[in-house]
Amino acid sequence: MKHRLTFCAVCVLLAGMLFAGQLFAAGQGEGNTAGTTLVTSIRGLDNPYHANYAVGAKALGELLKLPVDVLSTEGNSQKGISDVRAEVAKTGGNMVLSIDPNQAPDVVPIAKILEDAKVYWVNWWNKPDDVKVTTYKYWVANITFDSVGTGYFNATQLFKAFKTPGKGKIIALQGQLANNAAVGRFQGLQKALKENPDVELVQWEAGDWDRTKGYNLTKSMLVAHPDIDGIWSANDEMAMGALQALKEKGLDGKIPLTGTDGIPEIFDAIKAGYVTSTVMQDAKYQSQLGLSMALAAKSGKLNVASMPANHRSFMIPGTQVTRENVDKVVNEFIKNTPKYDLSDFFSRWVAEAP
Amino acid sequence: MTLEGGARKSVMVANGNVSGPLARAWRGLQKTGVAGQIVCLVIVMSIFAIGTRGKYLSWDNLQVILSLAGIPAILAIGVHQTIVLGGIDLSVEGVAGMCIVFVGLLLKNKLNTNDVGLWIVPVVMGAGGIAGFLNGLVITRLRIPSFISTLGLSWILAGIAVYINKATTVPLLDTQIQGIVNGSFLGIPFIALIALGLALLMQTVQDKTRFGGYVYAIGGDEQLAQQAGVRVNRIKIMVFVIAGVFYGLTALALCTQLGSAHPRTGSNILFPAITAVAVGGVALTGGIGGAKNAALGALIVTALNEGLVLMSVSPYVQQAVNGIVLIAAVALTIDRRKLGFIK
Repeated sequence: MKHRLTFCAVCVLLAGMLFAGQLFAAGQGEGNTAGTTLVTSIRGLDNPYHANYAVGAKALGELLKLPVDVLSTEGNSQKGISDVRAEVAKTGGNMVLSIDPNQAPDVVPIAKILEDAKVYWVNWWNKPDDVKVTTYKYWVANITFDSVGTGYFNATQLFKAFKTPGKGKIIALQGQLANNAAVGRFQGLQKALKENPDVELVQWEAGDWDRTKGYNLTKSMLVAHPDIDGIWSANDEMAMGALQALKEKGLDGKIPLTGTDGIPEIFDAIKAGYVTSTVMQDAKYQSQLGLSMALAAKSGKLNVASMPANHRSFMIPGTQVTRENVDKVVNEFIKNTPKYDLSDFFSRWVAEAP
Repeated sequence: MTLEGGARKSVMVANGNVSGPLARAWRGLQKTGVAGQIVCLVIVMSIFAIGTRGKYLSWDNLQVILSLAGIPAILAIGVHQTIVLGGIDLSVEGVAGMCIVFVGLLLKNKLNTNDVGLWIVPVVMGAGGIAGFLNGLVITRLRIPSFISTLGLSWILAGIAVYINKATTVPLLDTQIQGIVNGSFLGIPFIALIALGLALLMQTVQDKTRFGGYVYAIGGDEQLAQQAGVRVNRIKIMVFVIAGVFYGLTALALCTQLGSAHPRTGSNILFPAITAVAVGGVALTGGIGGAKNAALGALIVTALNEGLVLMSVSPYVQQAVNGIVLIAAVALTIDRRKLGFIK
């Protein structure tokens, strides 16, 4: 009899705990952002771009007095997915997420985990084209950069910097083949080439975003084409490798080149006149925009269900940097973290993304 | 059935029965132990020379090939020793990343006032050697296969490197070491001469010392070597230490060549190094090949990649060519008697 009573008491206690847990979870769900953890998932802290996602998230956390967690995939998709699952368990679902996934297919299992946990989130850069954000209730938006516009801007700046503006030969350093951003930026270059028929792309190579490869390939291409007028690079790292190869030949400052991303060294190179332009993707802004949108959805200020499809997946432009504005950009975005105007999430909207 | 003209002649050449100048040259080449690799290099260079109408053999281009082959050769000389031993070292990128952090901290740079000058050479050699010692200890004491333990150490060191470095690219201001790495003597890049010197040094150690003989004995059959009284664990640790020293030198050359230090600078060097080692004729099953093979392998791979770029071969095809070359090289060098099952 005594055992039965103990058994019943334990059952009642467990049921009570379960019920309380459900109530707590419901409280953590929609409409309440108190104590919500701002979570940003990035590829790693080993490069300034991804590290700045964390800086932006922490600044927002300080502003809103909310805790911040930074998850790092270290280039490992499985780790990225497991970390999201663990974070949901740790926070009891009282979190919002801004993520730059390791690879496009990662968003499918992540979307499922977050849909089950009722966690609002925003994705950056990569998702398979056939996966639609509108299929999911808690996936607020997928945001990417206008890669075509980025490649186009740098190409036009490069062509202007030729000895005879708009006329000459160039070589190009492409990023990883089949990478969405690399493909888009290269399309931008092609678009500029069509508009400038006197500019000839004599050779392009895939440098895989890597500085050493950028250096090696530029050295080789300079043998094949010693008479080039400019170098278009899909990112700053490869551009810095190309610049080193130019320096060895005494051609730094004589052959203009361009990058993309906005790494600290490129700004010095722009100031010195070695690099013509870059387009900076402001990861601090990305982080704050993503987390703010997800937070607004959680609090009910942003009604995800009523958002048009072109606001659920869209592109924003990067910050164009040339010698004219480089000091301002460095001071405003690199040395400091600006207070971004996040009252209108779509103020920088350029176009709908796939 | 009779052998006709050319076929008979080739058999006679192969048997060493012909004493013409060509046969004598071939026998001389065979004595080097890298005849196949030299022939391979000549074939590769000939194809590209024809394909580029001689531009490939221009002094300008040969200088570029030599300067680009120097660093991969130093790395391949380091990695190949662990493969000759019958293991493998996948910690290359982590060790290089950590050594690069030391370079960024200690060599004259834009972010701090340190300037150890040429002392950076023993520092990176020491750091690489310590990492190699750790590799050796984990393999021999904890008895974890080198494939896993070195991969683990690579991740650990890469993590520590990024933690210390805080994702900062350190612009290097040192001109002394940059002058050595990027300079040349009589038009030959210093870095290629350094690689050549290191290859000769390691080959001498492998051919002329007892230590070198033990390494081949362990690579050939570890159990037999142990029964013969070879102190296997000690030799293994020494090999990984020496390999680590080479990774340190590679790291220093890599970042001074680019004029900046960032732990990720060495993040794509492992696969080309393994490819170079295999192409050079070092059997991935152990016991076969030396420093000269590794260095020549690096030269062949660089000559191949450079030629593909010079001929404007599509980048999509270039990746495929690298894969084909790797499989072909391993197929030609692997010792199948050591493989019970292919999985």
